[in-house]
Amino acid sequence: MGTAANLIALHWASFQWLLWISLYLILGIFVPWLITRAWVQQHGSDLQPRLKELFQHGELGLVGLVLAISGIWDLLRSQCMPHTRALGSILLAVSGIMAGAVWIESYCRRSTGTRFNPERAWRDSRSLAFLVFSMAAVIEILLDRFAKVAVQ
Amino acid sequence: MSAPTLALAEVQQRKVIVRLADPAVAAAYISVAFGLLLVFFPVWFPRMIVRNWWNGRLTIAMVVFTLLFDSAIYIRVAHLLSAKLEILAPACLGSLPIMIVVGLSSLLQSAISLTLSGYLPNIEARISEEIVTHTYFALVSAVFLPFVVIRLLEQFKTTKSKR
Repeated sequence: MGTAANLIALHWASFQWLLWISLYLILGIFVPWLITRAWVQQHGSDLQPRLKELFQHGELGLVGLVLAISGIWDLLRSQCMPHTRALGSILLAVSGIMAGAVWIESYCRRSTGTRFNPERAWRDSRSLAFLVFSMAAVIEILLDRFAKVAVQ
Repeated sequence: MSAPTLALAEVQQRKVIVRLADPAVAAAYISVAFGLLLVFFPVWFPRMIVRNWWNGRLTIAMVVFTLLFDSAIYIRVAHLLSAKLEILAPACLGSLPIMIVVGLSSLLQSAISLTLSGYLPNIEARISEEIVTHTYFALVSAVFLPFVVIRLLEQFKTTKSKR
């Protein structure tokens, strides 16, 4: 019984990264879209909310920055060597800042009336958020592996 | 000069302006591939990385791969924009991936020395995980960071020329 419980705990620990990915996808992307749909239904509007329109001002860049912070936090709490923690944190921070910069630039352009292209803001923020998300996901997988090795 | 000739000259003189979205997507695909290989081949893939790191082939393979990959991204962007190639970007793309991979390889060596001096339990497995993690960081850095540098240099040049 105890061995089975240990086995389940070990398998659960191996797939924590999957929970991490699901949490961010659900709470960061799906829930805002769902809230928009709920608002549309409540107000009887004929708006057809799409992800592209919801995040057309580069908001995904901000999501990317938050993701990077979460990844850095997990990395700093890990038992990896300081070199690895520092390197991963810097890399995530650079990518996160670049993603956040898309949102900031988009805001500045709209506020000052400078030429603004929503298509470009959407494309840039989506690509950079995808990079941060994929990097943070791989880091979570690597940290799960490292945690298992450290426990043994 | 006629209008079509002027337009043609303008197209020919257009510079390649790399937006970070292009290398970001490429680096993200590398990340996804790396993650999938780790999930579906949890023993074979890390073992292959570690074996090649110890026999010294991994660093060379990574330098060659990142140089080719970065060049492919840059040439693709230039082709899509029908723009002429500049000297600054190819110079960065030719040198930065090598510097990043070699630099991070030295950093990994010092991380391994530190691990060995720590008398930690399960030391061999820890070192293997450090090698796999550093390999991933080096790969993504060598693909993405040169373009970040190019972008910053381009912005610096634009700001300077506006003054």
